[in-house]
Amino acid sequence: MEWMITTNEPGKTYLMQGNEAISRGALEAGIRFAAAYPGSPSSEILTMLGHVADEMEIYAEWSTNETCALEACLGASFAGIRSLCVMKQNGLLVVGDALHSASLSGVKGGLVLVVADDPSAHSSTNEFDSRHQSRSAAVPMLEPANMQEAKDMVKWGFELSEQLQQLVMVRTVTRINHGRSSVTLGEIPQQKQVPAVIGEWDRLVAINWFKDAQISKLEQAQVIFKESPFNWYNGPENPDMMIVTCGTGWLYSIEAVKALGVKDSVGILKIGTTWPLPEEFIVKHLGRTKKVLVVEEVDPFLEQNIANIIAYHPELNIELTGRHGQKVIPRNGELNPNVVRNALANMTGTTFTGPEVTFIPPEEAVALPPRELTFCAGCPHRASFFLLKQTLRIQEGQGVVMGDIGCYTMGGQRAGHYLFNFLSCMGAGISAAEGLGQLTRFGFDQPVIALAGDSTFFHSCMPALINAKYHNSNMLFVILDNSATAMTGFQPHPGIGLTAMGKTTEPISIAKVVEAIGCPVTVADPFDITGTTEIVYKLLKQPGLKVLILKQECATLAIRKREKAKVWVDQDLCRGDECGCGRFCSRIWGCPGNIWDYEVGKAKIDEVVCVGCGVCVSLCPAGAIKIEGGEAV
Amino acid sequence: MSKELIKDPLNIIICGVGGQGNILATELLASALVEKGYFATVGETYGASQRGGSVMSHVRISAATEYGVLIPLQQADIIVSFEPTDTLRVARDYANKSTLIITDSRPNYPLGVLIGEAHYPAMEAIEAELRKLSNQVQIIEATKLAVEAGNSQAANVLLMGALTALPLVPIDIDDYERILEQRFSGQVLEMNRKVLKVGYEQVK
Amino acid sequence: MCGGMELKNEVLASATCALCGACLDWCPYIANIEDHLVLRFDCNVSNGRCYSVCPRTFTDWEAISEKYLPDIPRDFAIGPHLKAYKVKAAKGINGQQDGGTVSYLVKTILEDELAETVLLTGTDDQVTPEPFLSSEIDDIQKSAGSRFLASPGMRKIIEAQNNKVQKMAVVGRPCQIQALRKLDYNRPPQKPEVEVLSIGLFCMWSLGWDFKDYLQKQFPEEEVLRLAIPQHGFEVTTDKGVHELPIDTVKKFSRAGCNYCLDMTSELADISVGAFEPQEGWNTVIIRTPKGQQIFNDALTKGYLISEEYPEEELKRLKGASLGKKTRNLNHVQTAFDKGVKPFIDLNSAYYIQLKELAEGMVK
Repeated sequence: MEWMITTNEPGKTYLMQGNEAISRGALEAGIRFAAAYPGSPSSEILTMLGHVADEMEIYAEWSTNETCALEACLGASFAGIRSLCVMKQNGLLVVGDALHSASLSGVKGGLVLVVADDPSAHSSTNEFDSRHQSRSAAVPMLEPANMQEAKDMVKWGFELSEQLQQLVMVRTVTRINHGRSSVTLGEIPQQKQVPAVIGEWDRLVAINWFKDAQISKLEQAQVIFKESPFNWYNGPENPDMMIVTCGTGWLYSIEAVKALGVKDSVGILKIGTTWPLPEEFIVKHLGRTKKVLVVEEVDPFLEQNIANIIAYHPELNIELTGRHGQKVIPRNGELNPNVVRNALANMTGTTFTGPEVTFIPPEEAVALPPRELTFCAGCPHRASFFLLKQTLRIQEGQGVVMGDIGCYTMGGQRAGHYLFNFLSCMGAGISAAEGLGQLTRFGFDQPVIALAGDSTFFHSCMPALINAKYHNSNMLFVILDNSATAMTGFQPHPGIGLTAMGKTTEPISIAKVVEAIGCPVTVADPFDITGTTEIVYKLLKQPGLKVLILKQECATLAIRKREKAKVWVDQDLCRGDECGCGRFCSRIWGCPGNIWDYEVGKAKIDEVVCVGCGVCVSLCPAGAIKIEGGEAV
Repeated sequence: MSKELIKDPLNIIICGVGGQGNILATELLASALVEKGYFATVGETYGASQRGGSVMSHVRISAATEYGVLIPLQQADIIVSFEPTDTLRVARDYANKSTLIITDSRPNYPLGVLIGEAHYPAMEAIEAELRKLSNQVQIIEATKLAVEAGNSQAANVLLMGALTALPLVPIDIDDYERILEQRFSGQVLEMNRKVLKVGYEQVK
Repeated sequence: MCGGMELKNEVLASATCALCGACLDWCPYIANIEDHLVLRFDCNVSNGRCYSVCPRTFTDWEAISEKYLPDIPRDFAIGPHLKAYKVKAAKGINGQQDGGTVSYLVKTILEDELAETVLLTGTDDQVTPEPFLSSEIDDIQKSAGSRFLASPGMRKIIEAQNNKVQKMAVVGRPCQIQALRKLDYNRPPQKPEVEVLSIGLFCMWSLGWDFKDYLQKQFPEEEVLRLAIPQHGFEVTTDKGVHELPIDTVKKFSRAGCNYCLDMTSELADISVGAFEPQEGWNTVIIRTPKGQQIFNDALTKGYLISEEYPEEELKRLKGASLGKKTRNLNHVQTAFDKGVKPFIDLNSAYYIQLKELAEGMVK
């Protein structure tokens, strides 16, 4: 709720989403600048800040990629402006060089970098743990354990950042970003920062001369963290065992101690400042016990840094357990109350007595149909994957398809006829295809196709395209241009002509960019299955680098703008299960709008779901699917 | 200090299929609880919500303290579901003998069923297994009732109405209505008020 | 009981496909561009039209001949037939190959209303075949001349069916005439019958579409006006002149699927037409059915065609050529069967056994 992040009611408590709390914290810190690249679970933060930008007199942008976002913030910080940068875990790896360099140069105005990790990869291709980057780049890091802390840490992060003249990372996880809980509001400053003059001799330079300063900032942070209100111990004076935890692990740990009834023997040391660790503070509390269980998400980061501390303090005599060695907590995946409770039960030799539960043996359980993910009804990606798959079959040359990251990543699943041979990170599809395409000289004769979405094109494909062009790689680059960053909730990108703050701007034409690089470009409509199949077929026969833009707007956006056509099935014409189609529309085309009418044994359209794109009309061999009215797609 | 709960923490799971509006319904429920001074946390699984995947929200309510966003397995006190197979899927993981299960009976066919590769089980079979898992299963034809009231999309608020009628849940229909008033106006508000009451009466 | 997956595994995957096109267009699972024909998605139908009409799935030649050419004298080399003629058109038709006989037979069929529509193959560039249905006499000219590239013309049968055509004529290659007969032979009882007149063409092989790329590379900047095989070699007439390609060079582009064909003269057609080798400008016409004889007679009566007695020694040569194709391709067929390709011919039939003995005898 956007009003929650701007309302000036200090002391008032609202149910807030973690991402709302983070936005609120930044506004309470008086930021005037925010930049981000969308990525679940972090996207709502900049979306909200963009929406309230005018009201709060801040600037907010969806940057072209995460490096642009971080360096834009660094620029604003140079003029003393408090800047918030937001990205997901993959983004932080994209900005690796920028992060390490910014840490070397330091900052002027407070710069907080919020990184949202996705343990268990709910909406990611991986569950990379961003915290290693904070250590590697010598950047102080805070890790909120609930939504209140998410707000408070972001706010305090700006103070810390200015005190140290160093950027500060706040690392969250999906359960914080997308969870909701009570948050008590603070005050939003009325005073707005104004940019400072950058003088002739002012410098923000990342060069190794500043390594000493960088280390000293880290040491200073360690001293500050010793007294941090985000770290505390709660439990018996000398517990048999201590849980050391951060992030979501904290509340799960409290619940586990309660559930197992071990609060007289188990204490909890909660850490909010996970890098650099407040060594003195930790040593003091570890001294209370002989046995430690570390509970964290998702790598054993806290655990192994504590192991380091223990190694430097021979006076400690501690048996350390956690994710390392997978003795009590699995090495992968997010935490949940059961994982933590089981680990604690295991360590304390206790058992949990839960409510009475009926166990139903698998053979007696009702078989449940799985809920598979698929492209939305009317999604142009469905058509693109369909026609690419069939072209490769027709072409018979065993084409190799290099995928990329976006909604269309689902094309690697059944929704896209399992088209991908390769999937890595954003921009990797075309980069790797360039390499494969160079092997023609050694006799590699399979067609190579790289796919990327429009947002991904701007994000990370341009250098790779230049590389492919300059070295004339033998490949086809297909840009799936649906005019949206649909995966993460329709944030605008440079091809759209709209900013995060809702202002119009001149859109950048992908076709013109490609042409300017010197690649011949073909633009085709994925909804014209037959025509575009022939285009792809012909392009694949040509040697060298080819670029094809499959342009059709994201159905979810398109349907908001045009009158929906009515699509229906003339069941007299439908051949249904017989030879002739074998339910081609619902079984193969697989649009949620094409359903099967079990009562009459014929195809039918789910009119609630159907967006009226009409592609299935062209696929029905019996001409049984009809379309009427609406604006042409 | 808010009123003590019959069960603390009170664990409620609200589940269904993406697009059925359960995330909004849950957020409104939790907001009403926070308004009344309770600690409420919500854990949501979405991202898949626009694409017909299962969506489940965990709500944890306490008069005393904040709880983590996820409910431990087999420890849901109430499961409210918009879709029968999802009810069963969730109940297997989270229900115990005394969990109160409220479910709509209207199927939302997954892709595999639509294309004829998977079989959708009979409602009787689903209900029989639910009754094995829990002593308290109540079927509310929420979508049907919402359609009768004028809008199939309002089944989410209808089931929330049913929730407010339960003694376990420390808010009443007026509390939920107040939150509706904060968020909606005009016809949408009127429709939601109407179905909220219909849902309430299903349980009362 | 076989469907799309069996077609894929037995025919498409083993490259025996003749590209007749009979499986296309009715079925959304089968896709085609140029001479590629594939199952684009897996089909779940266990009993498919595609499989039953395919000339490269099991074909009971004996039974089909019995049904469509009953009581016609059999000939081992050139199939059941009544009589052969040496024929040419009385007047030339532009673009014709050899005698122009086919065009006038079609004209006769349309004029006599023996068919509502005719399946023909035209071209826009003298190279690329374009199958089309027509009921217009003026359109016949578009189909004049030979097409050397294989084209899946039988796909158009569906179009005729959808247009509720009850009588149609087809001009096709031997594989296409086979498919046409199988289509009717395996017709499900509830499907309406279509009366079909068939004019089969002589065919040694047809070319893959990479020949088109070859021509383009060989004669860049030239517009092809005509392709022909006179006695000597393969003739390419362009706007810049006449080029000759060695026949062996051209043969390299013949489709793999053609290697499995045991029929040079369209043995199941009503009338078969081919070149009359010894004399340019004339055709060989083989009349196989009374229906075929009637059309031929009509064309003669109308004065469209001129016919002469078929020379005995030429008939011998023709039979030799046909047997040559049969025995050559039998080797391919047997090799394929040995490799596990499912036999599309009855291995115990008298015909097959005789052919095998003949082929072995020739080797000896």
